[in-house]
Amino acid sequence: MSSVLPATNRARRTRRRGTDSQTFLSSLPWIGPALLLILAIVVFPAGYMIYNSTRKISSVGTDLESAGLENFVTIFQDPVLPRVLLNTVLWVVSVVVITVLLSLVLAQFLNKPFPGRTIVRMAVIVPWAASVVMTTTVFYYGLDPNYGIFNHFFVQLGLMDEGYGWTKNAVPAIAVSVVVAIFVSIPFTTYTLLAGLQAIPQETLEAARVDGAGRWKTYLLVIIPQLRSALAVSMLINIINVFNNLPILKVMTGSIPGNSADTLMTYIFKVLQFDRRLDLSSALSVVNFAIVLVIVAIYVKTVKPMQEI
Amino acid sequence: MKRTTRTGVLALSTAAALLLTSCGFSDNGGGSADASGGTTTLNMLVPTYSDGTKGLWEGVIADFEAEHENIDVNLEVQSWENIEGVLKTKLQGGQAPDIYNGGAFAEFAAEGLLAPASDIASQETIDDFQTTFADAEKFEGTQFGLPLIASARALFYNKALMEEAGVDAVPTTWEELHDASKLISEKTKADGYGMPLGSEEAQGESLIWFAGNGGSFGDSQKISVNTPQNLEAAEFMKKMVDDGVTQNDPGATQRTPMLNTFVQGKLGFAYALPQTIGQIEDENPKLDYGVAAVPTKSGEPATLGVADRLMSFRNDGSKSAAVKEFMDYFFSADVYTDWVSTEGFLPTTKSGSEKMAGDETLTPFLDMLPNAVFYPTTNPAWNATDGAFKSLMGELGTGKSAQEVLESIQAKADAAS
Amino acid sequence: MTFLVTEDRAAKKTVIGRMVVGFAVVIIFLIPYGMMLIGSLKTQSEILAIPPKYLPQDGAQFSNYITMWDTPETPVPYNLISTIVIAVFATLLVLLVATPAAYYTARFKFPGKMVFMFLVIVTQMLQPAVLTAGLFKQMLAWNLNDTWLAMILINAAFNLAFAVWIMHSFFAGVPRSIDEAAQIDGAGKLRVLFTINLPLVWPGIVTAVIFTFVSCWNEFAASLVILSTAENQPLSVALTKFVGQYSTAWQYVFGVSIVAIVPVIVLFALIEKRLIGGLAAGAVK
Repeated sequence: MSSVLPATNRARRTRRRGTDSQTFLSSLPWIGPALLLILAIVVFPAGYMIYNSTRKISSVGTDLESAGLENFVTIFQDPVLPRVLLNTVLWVVSVVVITVLLSLVLAQFLNKPFPGRTIVRMAVIVPWAASVVMTTTVFYYGLDPNYGIFNHFFVQLGLMDEGYGWTKNAVPAIAVSVVVAIFVSIPFTTYTLLAGLQAIPQETLEAARVDGAGRWKTYLLVIIPQLRSALAVSMLINIINVFNNLPILKVMTGSIPGNSADTLMTYIFKVLQFDRRLDLSSALSVVNFAIVLVIVAIYVKTVKPMQEI
Repeated sequence: MKRTTRTGVLALSTAAALLLTSCGFSDNGGGSADASGGTTTLNMLVPTYSDGTKGLWEGVIADFEAEHENIDVNLEVQSWENIEGVLKTKLQGGQAPDIYNGGAFAEFAAEGLLAPASDIASQETIDDFQTTFADAEKFEGTQFGLPLIASARALFYNKALMEEAGVDAVPTTWEELHDASKLISEKTKADGYGMPLGSEEAQGESLIWFAGNGGSFGDSQKISVNTPQNLEAAEFMKKMVDDGVTQNDPGATQRTPMLNTFVQGKLGFAYALPQTIGQIEDENPKLDYGVAAVPTKSGEPATLGVADRLMSFRNDGSKSAAVKEFMDYFFSADVYTDWVSTEGFLPTTKSGSEKMAGDETLTPFLDMLPNAVFYPTTNPAWNATDGAFKSLMGELGTGKSAQEVLESIQAKADAAS
Repeated sequence: MTFLVTEDRAAKKTVIGRMVVGFAVVIIFLIPYGMMLIGSLKTQSEILAIPPKYLPQDGAQFSNYITMWDTPETPVPYNLISTIVIAVFATLLVLLVATPAAYYTARFKFPGKMVFMFLVIVTQMLQPAVLTAGLFKQMLAWNLNDTWLAMILINAAFNLAFAVWIMHSFFAGVPRSIDEAAQIDGAGKLRVLFTINLPLVWPGIVTAVIFTFVSCWNEFAASLVILSTAENQPLSVALTKFVGQYSTAWQYVFGVSIVAIVPVIVLFALIEKRLIGGLAAGAVK
């Protein structure tokens, strides 16, 4: 590995600092298996995607010739790209922020003792256990203007005169998708935070109480800092997953013509499925990957989810 | 205690590793080379037409294998939504199926990936196809595909709703369809006409209307979407939408749920297929409906015809003889007619047509076939055009002008040719 | 504050309030799956009736749950076995590989640690969905196409990231002094990990296990292209077979989905007990 040279320098420097420092070699038995699995499975397909993005590929998948950076030029000149990127940003920000806020509340609630708590915890896990595609499909089915049960229910309540095509127009379809995405993201986020809450030593809370701190003060100054690690990781995973989510939007906005409701992922899918351009969709995937990479790098730099306590 | 857990995990994973390397049920790894002993393995990839498709093919294959001990057929069934993605991955990996059931073939033929029909079927089998269908399988003069099924769209009308709205005659022209749909929309609680311009059927619905004005999607040489006839038809489609005689949100309506509203008696008119008749029998047998020819601008008959085909990817050519055995077996009158009639399609062979001539439910569709306009499947750019229709035609229902929509589709088609 | 006073009536009120909120939460989270369950007990035509009926009209069609195991579209029993095998072994593999990595990166400094952690998170960013072409080629070259092993490896590799990161954050939360005390007692690193740390980070492991298992259980994109034999395909792929060109067998889609959810819930129920047990043990120490 190329990182060995500077790494040994760093090792020498850090070794002086504490007994915890180790050489790269002695870390291998511990991190080696993980490293091997990643290198063996992930590297080739990722490289192949990048390679495809620089080729000209026929609609049936035959690799014709090198295209250099032409595919990237094409996609950056694509007039729908700004709208798609804007949708993507709105999609990720709204889903992640609302999910985390709701999950903080829910985790706090599920950490309190009351009869039947186990049942509530079990119910919260169900959307996680079910596949996202199935959950989305049920919502889609329920929102059908004709035979959808949600629509029927709203009509019976007198909220609407007739079934509304929630999934047939860009704005409501995206809104509904956001709701579904939050719905399926909450269980995982809540559980990560709940696990974090439970890992807070009882003594810490006692100490805060003895000091006479109020509930909000305890929450903000004692609990949240302790949750930092769980919060940082769950947010990171959520950002990545929501950014890369295809099934929800594909089902919910799939029947809407044009690109007004597309995010980067659904756009990649449409370029592949309808335009049959593997080369362009690979280039878009590379761009997509680069964007996530930058976001995550910034996130890791600023939030430092790995910082030890 | 801890130690037993650990050794347990270790033992388990070792056992698992042994189990899994030889793993999976049946079959020695999908595309691997032919087994020893002179047996040829044919990989077959087909889409799901109905819930019986897999069983039907399995029946055909079992009978075929009983007669041909040296040929194994590996069947893979995929939904229509996924099959092309799966095929493309296989092609890129050099694992093209030996037998493939699909809608378009020209782009494969253009790249020399397909075996010509004469390599994969006997002259007798080839001669048995009806000429119009056989001609639609030719690319630069050579026939590649073997036409598997044919289908045509017809107008389904709800008699009860027509009566309720005071519509006396089944519409035969666009104007009549427009006015009848308007009456139904206004005077009943149902919608008048169902126009599915979502990604499932946009291309089909469009061509039905275009054909009704003498239009088409072009030919093997050129995709021509943006023509005066097509534009006039698209403008009339838009008029239907703008006048509110269709269901809500036609631009995002898929065919399956739209036809369901017809089956449930909540829609006056819809273009549907032979299979819809069976669906009505299953789901709402009380529906009072009829089937008629598609209304056109002038009233002259015209409709959309659809044909799917079997084709064979050439690979190294070593399996052609086995593929030929299979095709000759499958297209023999008894086997083929059974398959086609169970799936509810129209036959493409002469012998099949003779056998099925007495089938009453198919009569209106068979009558329409001579005036049917087909997709330009012989044009390599058809696939991309198809995709453009699926993703863009619906914009007719979301505010764009007919001219703009056709231009954007034409642009995508031109980019692909 | 009031809760130091512990007035009995106030406490009772709080508990009842919590139960009411809890009930509302249960309803919200179960509504879609309730619809799924009811849908699986309807006939095909009831599911598509306009206007829809909330409940089955001809009596609940429990027979759907019998007939669905033997449908013409896909061999559901085999699909269930495939799903279980793939998800279980992939999860075990992830645990086996991720635990030491997470522990080591949380406890020790070593050159290349940041690079390693970043590499791990990069795999989380790459979804198998955009990599299917390459994965197919690779598995073909290894002669693993259409095998469970291929999907176990793929699932494990793409879910490693989360497990490493989440366990890392939990190991990091365990006070280092505990380790040091044990090491002074002469315990090796492995023993410190197994006897001291693991019991303390149970919640983190449980989260990692559930996350990994669920995501392997529902993986679709790679399975679709890699597993071509119907018997080898997991339930996620099998479900798509019920979608025909003209109609969809919704009652089976819903029924199979319910069956697919149940094992995960059971797994969770089992783990939840251990989770609480582990926590209690940690608290006693």
